[in-house]
Amino acid sequence: MIKLLFFGRLGDVACDAPKLIEANTPAEIRDLLAADFPELGRQLREPQVLVSVNQMIVSWNQPLAAGSEVAFLPPVTGG
Amino acid sequence: MTVRIAIQREDFNLAEEYEWLRQISPAVGAVVTFSGLVRDFESTDGARNAIDSLSLQHYPGMTESLLQEIVDQAMQRWPLLGVTVIHRVGKLLPAEQIVFVGVASQHRAAAFEAAQCVMDYLKTRATFWKKVDQNGREHWVESKDSDQVARQRWAADD
Repeated sequence: MIKLLFFGRLGDVACDAPKLIEANTPAEIRDLLAADFPELGRQLREPQVLVSVNQMIVSWNQPLAAGSEVAFLPPVTGG
Repeated sequence: MTVRIAIQREDFNLAEEYEWLRQISPAVGAVVTFSGLVRDFESTDGARNAIDSLSLQHYPGMTESLLQEIVDQAMQRWPLLGVTVIHRVGKLLPAEQIVFVGVASQHRAAAFEAAQCVMDYLKTRATFWKKVDQNGREHWVESKDSDQVARQRWAADD
């Protein structure tokens, strides 16, 4: 299983989304989520949204190992 | 080279942070400190709206390693003796301190430039998200293009 984390505004639209999923890439997770949660799917497809695997920013086609932690990151606003 | 990175709910003390940077080495000839505060307003499309509080969320673990990377990058670029980065999380009220960057070096140019560079990268790379509370209504802060532009001036060897 892959553990999912949603930060910032993505957390609000993902409150009913699963937090564990089976998938081979972040892009596949995005497609699976979009099927059931269209607004979340739309926001995950925004070009500014980044994805990390085990806390490293990666491409959406990065192959996933079981037990990975995938996080969806909207543009940051700290400081 | 001495580095201190902290993500915390508690406030920080400017005088203590300055003293810590000052005592790092007798070679320290310059200390530049920056503190960011919570404004009591937000500008949206030219309009100025009062805010009641901010809530800061971050990605524990990833934020610390990104801040370390940002500091490492600055250390490679300037001859620094010490760097401190403190960022607060949780609920913060207007006028509270939110972020601190302090840099110690032998000469002032390196300290000024490195402090600004670390702040510009922190704003655009570090995994923090701000939520505004306005009269009981909450919304997430949108990122600003001007912050991206500010970072890009350091991007020659990005």
